[in-house]
Amino acid sequence: MTAEATVAEISVTIGERPAGTAPGEDILLDVRGLQTHFHVMDGTVRAVDGVSFSVPRGGTVGLVGESACGKSVTALTIMRLLDIPPAEIVGGEVWFDGREILALPEEEMRHLRGNDIAMIFQEPLTSLNPVLTVGDQISEQVRLHLKVDKKEGLGRAIESLRTVGIPNPEQRVKQYPHEMSGGMRQRVMIAMALSCEPKLLIADEPTTALDVTIQAQILELLKAVQERTKSALMLITHDLGVVAEMVDEIVVMYAGQIVEQGTAEQVLTRPMDPYTMGLIESLPSVKKRGGRLSAIKGVVPSPFNLPPGCRFAPRCPYVWDACRTTSPELIPVGGHGQRARCLLHTPAGAPRRAAVFDTAASSGTTAGHGA
Amino acid sequence: MTDQATTPTPDTDETPVAAPTPADAPTPIRATPGVLEGEEPSVEALERDWQRDGGEVPSEEPLADPAHGIVEGEALLRVSGLKKHFPVYGGLLRRQVATVYAVDGVDFEVRKGDVFSLVGESGCGKTTLGRTVLRLVEPTAGTVHFGALDVTRLKSSELRRLRSKMQIVFQDPFGSLNPRMPVSDIIGEGLIAQGLTDRKARDRRVGDALEAVGLRRDYTRRYPHEFSGGQRQRIGVARALALEPDFIVLDEPVSALDVSIQSQVLNLLLDLRKDFDLTYLFISHNLSVIEYVSDRVGVMYLGQIVELASSEELYRSPRHPYTLALLSAIPDPDPRRRHKRLVLKGDVPSPVNPPAGCHFHTRCWLREQLGNPEQCVSAEPDLRELMPGHKAKCHFAEQVSGAKAAEFAAEHSTVVPAVVDA
Repeated sequence: MTAEATVAEISVTIGERPAGTAPGEDILLDVRGLQTHFHVMDGTVRAVDGVSFSVPRGGTVGLVGESACGKSVTALTIMRLLDIPPAEIVGGEVWFDGREILALPEEEMRHLRGNDIAMIFQEPLTSLNPVLTVGDQISEQVRLHLKVDKKEGLGRAIESLRTVGIPNPEQRVKQYPHEMSGGMRQRVMIAMALSCEPKLLIADEPTTALDVTIQAQILELLKAVQERTKSALMLITHDLGVVAEMVDEIVVMYAGQIVEQGTAEQVLTRPMDPYTMGLIESLPSVKKRGGRLSAIKGVVPSPFNLPPGCRFAPRCPYVWDACRTTSPELIPVGGHGQRARCLLHTPAGAPRRAAVFDTAASSGTTAGHGA
Repeated sequence: MTDQATTPTPDTDETPVAAPTPADAPTPIRATPGVLEGEEPSVEALERDWQRDGGEVPSEEPLADPAHGIVEGEALLRVSGLKKHFPVYGGLLRRQVATVYAVDGVDFEVRKGDVFSLVGESGCGKTTLGRTVLRLVEPTAGTVHFGALDVTRLKSSELRRLRSKMQIVFQDPFGSLNPRMPVSDIIGEGLIAQGLTDRKARDRRVGDALEAVGLRRDYTRRYPHEFSGGQRQRIGVARALALEPDFIVLDEPVSALDVSIQSQVLNLLLDLRKDFDLTYLFISHNLSVIEYVSDRVGVMYLGQIVELASSEELYRSPRHPYTLALLSAIPDPDPRRRHKRLVLKGDVPSPVNPPAGCHFHTRCWLREQLGNPEQCVSAEPDLRELMPGHKAKCHFAEQVSGAKAAEFAAEHSTVVPAVVDA
């Protein structure tokens, strides 16, 4: 396969499927070539710049990246929760449950939100209404979406609090958010998100504000309810440990683009993109004790001044001249669904490839120099 | 936020200034209930304390270098019985209605050249402890010896001179730098406070400090907003470093940073320790970072150290049930290693009203496994030495093991209640 063919193939299909057609029945969410820009005083920020991935029914996908890589904006675009302007959805399609939802009227979108797609945010205190009891907040949502009466709504609220492990839910529904601890509020958020049994749960850094023992509780809870309700999970986080425990597939983002995607095991144990490799390498762990942490040099480029070629080139340890002029495509690596955005995987990078990926890493690839 | 490290603020450290000559006496450690913390004590109260303490004016101790003569491996900092209690006021008359036991009797030593880490969840008192050690917060009781010097007995003028030897780097790289000051002033402020008034010499020191942390000398005219989070944290480190300290408290120095930047700053901190002969008190909630940087670790829970050991020992064979739970809770970035997690019940209890006996007994999995022995509720365990250099505050520390924890984790359902029912 030549590089030209690969690139051509990618450009006709946005992501996996041709534009304008519904994905297969097994795909719940299909994001194709999504582009979200922000128009601000200093210019245009291409926050999400051609992002394509899909979430199977009941599947779990993690969106990973550092601050400002576009992972949260991707979620907010899917939920259509961005303020337009300054945001603008410039291009792409989002297929959810057989329908394209970017073009859906707001009325229908509102029905979809909460009913079929629910979202959990990082900071539960600011996402809950401080002047309503948690019972009122959950039952309000249940009544709106499931068209049940007040009593039934409250009953559902109590039931959902019980399923997320809150004891005495009959008493707790009468409490206000400020009367609860951080972990407890996040449980309320999860209860609320799950009260309408959504098909897709989007969790944006659900445990980042929590202590590690509370994080463990919430992750176990999310896993348990996800397994029970069979809803799909899209988890957004910067924590590689959290994704490793929670999801089957990983999408790594950098500067608005996907730089690598594959199964959790592929991405975390045999990363094929230098950025992912750098991220994993920079985690402090036992084996590096005493030695130096391998840090990624430099900082994330300014969104107003992105490098002309590969966006990671200025920080990449394997950079060569072509990287500074050619923008790499997200191309299949290894033939098992893993993709990476790096010139090393094109024929032009072939001579350098062996030096970068040691034999252990490359044994899983079909890139021409197998085990 | 003002920079407490380089300019001691009057409301915390300089109470004796208000008093007449006798107030040159050391600041009394106010464990007496008559004087409430957080309020400016009256001149009379200070005089009374001073007379009660004997009214002796201490001899001018030479403050040149309290760490002088201490070689690598000897204790540079010795903390004993340190307590910090904050009063809670309430009611119509604003009487003290409760006490927050933020730091409640802590003993540890930091050896010269070591990285001693304090780890714990939010509200465990690790930050308050770090600040009390520097007397940015006045202790309620206990002593802190820096070399031969008892920091808790120092006058404010002596304390100010000591500040150049003991520095702090704060967590928030945005809140801890004055947005209206150029970098030269942010770093130079502490030098002025230490009496370096010569502009040229100061600029040189500022430039040297910037270079040491990997920033360019000519950044001195820039303002904090022109820097990224990682660079700001470097400026915070440069500010501490410019004073040529022996000892630095690093309060969550990398917690606000992205992973790739975090490793840059950690590398920098470890390099500086070697290059400048520094000793660190490293405070963090991140167990992987702690494991990477520390020589010795103290695990805190509700204002107390519950386990104290070398980093290797602590991570290899933890002996306190809480430490085990903390370690088990770290998400592992390797998807091939999936383990059944030991999940604690409920939240950390309030430090206003810590549980009787062992503070951890309300969430303790070992206690449950042992059939809820009475001892855990009736008696507070000591921080006992189990092996040389390894202490744990648990009646049943000998019974703690990874196998026991795994057994417990396997037996229990995954959805853990949010609150422990009494």
